[in-house]
Amino acid sequence: MRLEFGTFITPGSDDPERVVALAVLAEALGYDLVTVQDHPYNPGLLDAWTLLGWIAGKTERIRLAANVLNLPLRPPAVLARSAASLDLLADGRVEMGLGAGAFWPAIGAMGGPQRTPAEAVQATSEAIDILRELWDAGTRRSLRFRGEVYTVDGAARGPLPRHDIPIWLGARKPRMLRLIGRKADGWSVTYGFLPEGDRRGELRRGNAIVDAAAREAGRDPREIRRILNVTGTFLSERGDAFLQGPPAQWVDDLAPLAIEDGVSTFILMSDDGATLRTFAQEVIPALQERVGAALPASSDLLRPARVRAKRREGIAYDEVPASLRTAAVEPGDLAYARVRNTYMRGGAPGIVLKVSSVAEVQEALAFARRHPDLPFGVRSGGHGISGRSTNDGGIVIDLSGMNRIEVLDEAARLVRIEPGARWMDVAAALEPHGWALTSGDYGGVGVGGLATAGGVGFLAREQGLTIDHMRAAEIVLADGTLVRTSATEHPDLFWAIRGAGANFGIVTAFEFQVDPVSPQVGWAQFVMDASDLGGFLERWGAAVEAAPRALTSELIIGAPRRGQPLVAMVLALVDSGDPQAIVNALQPIADIAPLYQQRVVLTTYADVMANASREDHNGQGEPVARSGIVRHITPRVAQLAEELILNNGTYFFQIRSLGGAVNDVDPEAMAFSHRTGNFVLSAMGASRARLDAFWAPLQPHFAGLYLNFETDVTPERIAIAFPPRVLDRLRLLKARYDPDNVFRDNFNIAPAATIALGAAAPDRDEPVGTGAHEGHDHA
Amino acid sequence: MPDYEHDLRFGIFATPTAQPPQHAVELAVLADQLGLELATFQDHPYQASFLDTWTLLAYVASRTERIHVAGNVLNLPLRDPAVLARAAASLDRLSGGRVELGLGAGAFWDGIAAMGGRRLSPGEAVRALDEGIDVIRQLWDTTQRGGVKVEGDFYRVVGAKRGPAPAHEIGIWIGAYKPKMLDLVGRKATGWLPSLGYLPGGVADLEAMNARIDAAAVAAGRAPGDIRRMLNVNGQVSPSREGYLQGPPEAWAEDLAQTALDYGISDFILAADDPALVEFFATAIVPATRELVAERRS
Repeated sequence: MRLEFGTFITPGSDDPERVVALAVLAEALGYDLVTVQDHPYNPGLLDAWTLLGWIAGKTERIRLAANVLNLPLRPPAVLARSAASLDLLADGRVEMGLGAGAFWPAIGAMGGPQRTPAEAVQATSEAIDILRELWDAGTRRSLRFRGEVYTVDGAARGPLPRHDIPIWLGARKPRMLRLIGRKADGWSVTYGFLPEGDRRGELRRGNAIVDAAAREAGRDPREIRRILNVTGTFLSERGDAFLQGPPAQWVDDLAPLAIEDGVSTFILMSDDGATLRTFAQEVIPALQERVGAALPASSDLLRPARVRAKRREGIAYDEVPASLRTAAVEPGDLAYARVRNTYMRGGAPGIVLKVSSVAEVQEALAFARRHPDLPFGVRSGGHGISGRSTNDGGIVIDLSGMNRIEVLDEAARLVRIEPGARWMDVAAALEPHGWALTSGDYGGVGVGGLATAGGVGFLAREQGLTIDHMRAAEIVLADGTLVRTSATEHPDLFWAIRGAGANFGIVTAFEFQVDPVSPQVGWAQFVMDASDLGGFLERWGAAVEAAPRALTSELIIGAPRRGQPLVAMVLALVDSGDPQAIVNALQPIADIAPLYQQRVVLTTYADVMANASREDHNGQGEPVARSGIVRHITPRVAQLAEELILNNGTYFFQIRSLGGAVNDVDPEAMAFSHRTGNFVLSAMGASRARLDAFWAPLQPHFAGLYLNFETDVTPERIAIAFPPRVLDRLRLLKARYDPDNVFRDNFNIAPAATIALGAAAPDRDEPVGTGAHEGHDHA
Repeated sequence: MPDYEHDLRFGIFATPTAQPPQHAVELAVLADQLGLELATFQDHPYQASFLDTWTLLAYVASRTERIHVAGNVLNLPLRDPAVLARAAASLDRLSGGRVELGLGAGAFWDGIAAMGGRRLSPGEAVRALDEGIDVIRQLWDTTQRGGVKVEGDFYRVVGAKRGPAPAHEIGIWIGAYKPKMLDLVGRKATGWLPSLGYLPGGVADLEAMNARIDAAAVAAGRAPGDIRRMLNVNGQVSPSREGYLQGPPEAWAEDLAQTALDYGISDFILAADDPALVEFFATAIVPATRELVAERRS
């Protein structure tokens, strides 16, 4: 068991700089926690909450707590918001040390309440409830709490703290100790305030009361941290007095309190830098070793009962590897509200494992593999329309913490990007170099999901697809091994990753060769009259195909509104900073129909991509989306699209540009093989049946399908996304690299059965077929 | 046409959104780096999507170096004045004298009551603010003997120890529009902080309100110049002038300078959540405004 150590600094108001310096020193020395007392009636002391806010801004890692807050002078509803706020600002470092209050005359002189001991305990009990309820922003209902002391009448919950803020109470008497056992996460007591002569006895009796009350409330005593505030002097000679002697004696004095009396956090009460240093350097390491040897890891703190009560069936929560435990989120955690849903989907996963390194990806994957019957998703940005990245009762590996973007080679324009980065951040990182990498049309989308499927963005006609720029990918395979893939290293796997990557593993790093982009680009947003919808679509399609490659355009049409003209939103980006060239490129598009609104600006690609909020996802339900790639917007295609839209088959119809550089690429080069289309159509619908009915007649016109916009996972869809020769090769590769079908959650490619029957595996580098075009060849 | 001859100060008023948590902080840091004098945030403790303003102020103060921080304005019904006074003095000492106290009597009573605060009528709220200011001033004033003694209808603080003294004279700014509040400003505040958006007649409304404040100040034995006249503004930068603070930087500077000279407004606090706007304000508009005012004053 790993002990934790903190400091307790006197927040003297006469020398604030000194107080802060001690807190900063504590962090530098490696203490886990810095604490300060709270006596708001004492002018000799700085206000504790204010001081903690200040210290938060001067530190980065150390946790912060009052030891303990004066509840009578700090109403719990505002306190709840304050604590959540500081936890957000300080990135998850707040602990709530709370006290019932003791110096009633002083409290009264400040205008505060007077409470009997019983009332004080009651108030503390109610405050704990109010804190936890208001922090639980995942519950929508506002809080109505009618207590004996406090009333909260319809307060909104939130903001959601950065982490589950533990609540510990300062206590010495049985009533408070029982309250700790029932409701709190920790007990803070000052050794020197226990009755002299039998301090350890008092500590034991206190522990027993806490433990008994905990068990009675259905809790495990190991959920409750025992925090001991101690003080002493470092002397050269050993002596009989507690903590009056050399560091070795301190270790002897403190170890039994941890080993026998369950203290897991020691807080050193000292305002002397030298003492803090000696303790950190000469007591802590020895104490950790002694206690670590004596106590097994099973005596580590347990997650609270209220959290464990919400666990889902079949998940080995207590076997989550140690490295992943702090970042793991389970349904009872406050952070669950933040991670359960994705952009398009409501979810209720059993556990979300946040990973920040290859080793953690491997460990998380190994954990997921121990649950072959549960859904398993991998999440980069959580923007998937087809990509599920959440589920019900299953496991999610969250890559958002792996988001580095670094330039590997300035001359070759080679960039290494991790899967959890978002495309707007990539655009911003590349901008100073004069570069851009086409992605999609929304900056909040994560790199991993898009770059393993395609990537149809605002520079598509000039740059191709995102995957066309991939030069290498490092991937963790189903068996946990990390391999580097490229044209020369595991080229078959590299082929598969670009278009079907989700089926083969978790890519932990991509290397892209990016292109230069004009320092300023033209960005147009038109709202156009689409009352002649079929004609509009045809003319737009023709104009885009005829446009120079510097122009890429996209159009969006919503559901028709009764009594209002049908409009289309047309977006176009021109990679040029020359206003005349921009106008020349845009004019043919602007000419296709009357304009209701237009906005054409000179901006940067990074600014165009900075169109996403940084808020947590809040999707609900399941999206319904269809996708298809066409060569041209022919009159028939236009007519069928018109019928789809005018008959309310879709609430969101979009056409994105392919063509241009997209079709320069050899269809055999990668698993995404559709290199003859000029447009990808996609539509989202409220009703699958309705959307499908109007989509079906378009099917024969499709030369392919873009996976990321398709939610129908039937084999028919997979067969269009991956034409037969491609699919066959993918299935063989799947049998080789993921025979147990670990990565099964998106457009699952079933492993080829032939491998399982022992047939000879094809040579990895043997090409499949020759260069003829694959797939349907219609329209 | 009063000009109280106060030095000009400029600041921002950013939304204290909880997501992303560092949004408001980054704007304040930027403002600090650009040399603006004030970083302020609204205070609505019942608003669950905002950060707690006092907590934010403490954190922002520790992340900045010169800029002064203030609530704009703090919700007194949900913040005990004695505790607040000591908290403000604490932060002022920690920050080397960079705290100002913008105070509000409260307005959204449903929200206040929802959080367990007491519901007051508008008239009661003014009186409570009045008493609250007394509590705060007494607590800061360590030159007086004896404890704080405010036996009011809304606050009873008797015997609380005074101190610690703030590191500088913390301004007490009040937003006010109606007669009783304007009188309170004249009697007890060191800054008047209305918002342009709540002036139906625009800046022209400032004249009569200034006069009322002046009269109340004089009646209380103070000088009108004891009270800074401040203004929360909002606007848009556009190629041509379309209205007050709707135009190019030169037009903004002209508008602000004229408001400074016509109505004695010395502190302009711009509502801004976009770093680009903050940058533009600080580099293009503020210097031009200062120049115009300096020219025309001389």
